Amino acid sequence: MPEGKLCNRQPVTTLEQLQALLADKGGKQYYEEMNRLEVDAKALWDTIQRTCKSRIRTWLEICTHCGLCAESCFYYLANHKDPSQVPAYKIQSTLGEIIRRKGRVDNAFLQYTMDTVFAKCTCCNRCAIYCPLGIDTGVMASYTRGLLFSQGFTPWEMKIGSGMHRIFRAQMDVTTEDWVETCQWMAEETSEDWPGLEIPIDKEGADILYTVNAREPKHYPEDIAQAAILFHVAGENWTVPSEGWEETSLAMFAGDWEGCRQQVQSVYDAMARLRPKRMVVTECGHAYRATVIEGPYWAGLPTGKTPVETLHYVEWVAEALRTGKLKIDPRKKIKEPVTYQDSCNYIRNGGLADAARYIMSRIAEDFREMGPSREHNFCCGGGGGLNGIGRYREQRNIGLKVKRDQILATGAKLVVAPCHNCWDAIRDLEEIYRIGIRWTFLKPLLINMIEVPEHLRPREE
Amino acid sequence: MFKKLLFATTASPVCDNAAKVAFDLEMKWEAKLILLHVLGIPSRGFGLQVVDVRTGEKEQPSPDYLEWVTEELKTTYAAFLEESNARIVTAIGEPYREILRLARKEDVDMILMGAHSRDEEVGAARHRQVAGSTLRRVAKAARCPVVIVNRPCTTCWKLFSNIVVGTDFSKASESALLWGYKLAREVGANLHVFHAVDITAGGLTRPAGQTDLEQRIQEARRRIEHHLLPKIKGYEKTTVEVWEGIPYVEILKFARARQADLIVMAHHTREVDPEEAEMGSTVEEVVLRSSCPVASVNHPDKVADLL
Repeated sequence: MPEGKLCNRQPVTTLEQLQALLADKGGKQYYEEMNRLEVDAKALWDTIQRTCKSRIRTWLEICTHCGLCAESCFYYLANHKDPSQVPAYKIQSTLGEIIRRKGRVDNAFLQYTMDTVFAKCTCCNRCAIYCPLGIDTGVMASYTRGLLFSQGFTPWEMKIGSGMHRIFRAQMDVTTEDWVETCQWMAEETSEDWPGLEIPIDKEGADILYTVNAREPKHYPEDIAQAAILFHVAGENWTVPSEGWEETSLAMFAGDWEGCRQQVQSVYDAMARLRPKRMVVTECGHAYRATVIEGPYWAGLPTGKTPVETLHYVEWVAEALRTGKLKIDPRKKIKEPVTYQDSCNYIRNGGLADAARYIMSRIAEDFREMGPSREHNFCCGGGGGLNGIGRYREQRNIGLKVKRDQILATGAKLVVAPCHNCWDAIRDLEEIYRIGIRWTFLKPLLINMIEVPEHLRPREE
Repeated sequence: MFKKLLFATTASPVCDNAAKVAFDLEMKWEAKLILLHVLGIPSRGFGLQVVDVRTGEKEQPSPDYLEWVTEELKTTYAAFLEESNARIVTAIGEPYREILRLARKEDVDMILMGAHSRDEEVGAARHRQVAGSTLRRVAKAARCPVVIVNRPCTTCWKLFSNIVVGTDFSKASESALLWGYKLAREVGANLHVFHAVDITAGGLTRPAGQTDLEQRIQEARRRIEHHLLPKIKGYEKTTVEVWEGIPYVEILKFARARQADLIVMAHHTREVDPEEAEMGSTVEEVVLRSSCPVASVNHPDKVADLL
C-alpha cells in the first residue's frame, strides 16, 4: 500500500478528512497505516535540493561533534545523559543521514526520524546558544519535521492540527461566527461589572489589534474577557478582527509550511484591512514565534517583519505599567515567593526577557529567578507540540523533570507562566510529580492587582 | 413561565434530586427540557485529550466516546426518559462555561443543577471542586434563574404554597423578588419577603447595640414596604419579615419556620476569580444546608415583563 486512507502525503483540506482522522481514536489506524506508508525517495530528495539551503548544509558540515550541546538539552539531562539525546547526534543521525543517502531512506528510518525530531526535541533552540559554531539543532529539527510532513510521517495530532488551520484558519474548529459571537458574549457578561467595557470588532485604525489563541474562544473565553478588562482599564483604543484573529500555528509544529503561510496570511490580511497602529498577541509563546518571528518569511514579506509592529502580551503589559496606563496597588503585590517561566519562543527566540523582568519587579515582592533563567532557561517540556502528542506522552513526562527541579530550587509555590503550552506543561508536571505548586497567566493576576480609576468602577446600587 | 429548561448534570447521584425536579417541570409545564452533561475538561495548551469529569482519567472525545457517554446518560435517566422528550446534549469544556454557553444560545428560562457531592463517589474531590465553582460561576453570569436542588424535593412545583425571597436590597435581588413573585402568582403560593440585618457587618468585635439593631430592622422593613412591595403590585399573599443575625442562618431558620418550598435569592459577588473568593457567600451556605431548592436570580431578563 503506497499511501493510507488517513496516513498519507496529502495535507488535510476538507472537513470530511478531518472528521475521519478525529474518529480514529488515538490514531490507531493512522499509525498502522504509517507502518505501510511508502517513502517517495525521489520527491524527498527533490524537496531537499529545493529547500535545504546553505545554512543548514553548512551546519551539518561544520559540526565538530564536540558535544558542547549535550548539557544544553533538557532531554539529555532528564534522561541520565543518554548519548543518543545529544542534539548533534539527534540531527546528524536523522537529517544528516537522509541527506548523505540522498533521500534514499525507508519507512523505518523516517519513523525513527519522526520519533527523534518530535519526542527528543521541542525546537526550543537552547542548544544553539551553547554551540561554539552557532549551530541551531532546533531549526534543523523543525526543518526535518517539514520534510517528514511532506512524506506523510507526522504524528496523528499534528496532521489534525495542521488540517484545522487549513480549514478553519485556527487550531480548533472555531468559525468566524463562533468567534464574533464569543466576543459579543464576553462583552455582555463582563460589562456588568465593568461599565462601558466593549470588545470592538473590526474597528478600523485602532491603536491595538488584539489576536488570540483559538483555545480561548473555544474553551476559555474568560481569557478574552480578561484582556478586555485590562485594555478597558488602561484606556486603550483596541479592536479584534472578525477574521485573522488566530495567532497560533500547529502547522508550524507539524512542519506544514503551506498551512503556516495560509494561517499567518489571514492575520496579515486583517492588518491590511483594519490598519491598526500595532498588534498585541495574547499570552502564548509559539503563537508569537509563528506570527511575529517566522510568519513574515512564510508570507514572503521582504522586510522579515510583520506588516504592523507587533507586541507580545508581556511587552504590552510592561509598557502599560511603565507609562502608568495600568497602576498596581502596592498592597496587592504578590507577597509570597514567585518565579517566572520563560517561554522559549518569546524570551529566548523573541528577546523579551527584560519585559518579563520589569513586570515581575512591579507585581511581586519576592521574585525568584529560576536557574538558569531568561534566554538560558529550559523549555517547560511541552514545547514543539509535545503537550498534545499521545504517542510521545511518556517521553514528554520524563522531560518535565528538569522544569520540576528548577521550580523546586526557587522555593516558590507560584509560577507565572504567560504561555498556553508552558501553563499546560506546568499543570501536567504538578499532576504527575505533585510538588505543590500553583501556576497562572498574567491577566488574572493583574486584574486582582490594578488600581481601577474611579470612573471605571462598577456603580454601587 | 417555563418554556425551556436546562438541566445541567454530572450524571452522578448528586444530581438525582435535581433530575426529579427537572423532569417533573418538563411534564407539568409542558416545557422543552435540555439535559446537558459536560463530560471533559480540555487543556489550555494544544491537546486532543480531555479530563473526564467523572473518572478524572484522560480521554479522547472521539465520536464513539461521545456516543458512549450519551448512551450512559440514557441509561442513568432511563426511568425519566420514558415519559420525557428531553434532548440530551454533551459538551467538552469547563462545566460552568458550557452551561452558560448553552443557556445563552437556547435562551432557557431556568437552569437546574445539583449541588454537593457524596464522598463515596469516584473522584469526589474533583466533583466537589467542580460543583462548587460551577455553581458560583453559573449563578453569577446566567441571565436566567439557576435552581439548585440539593435534597429531595417532593412537592410538585405547581403545588408550592410558600416561596421565600431573601433580599439584600441590591439590584440583583430585585430581580429575585420579581421572579419569586411571578412564580408565586402562577402557582398561587404565599410570597414571604425576608431580610436579615447582618449583625456581623462591621466586624464581630464590635457587636451592634440593641437600639441600633432595632433601628436597622425598622429601616429594612420600611425599604421593603416602600421600595419593594410596589414592584409586586400588591400581591395579596405577601408577607414581610425582617430578622437580625447572620444572614444565611436566619434565612434558613425562616424558611424552615414557613415550611418554604423554595428559597429565592440573588447571588451576586464581585470577586473576579471565583476560586479565590471565600467559600461561604450567603447563597452557597444556604444551598448546602437548605432542605428545599434554592433559586439564584441575578438578572432581570426573565422578569422583564414585570418591570
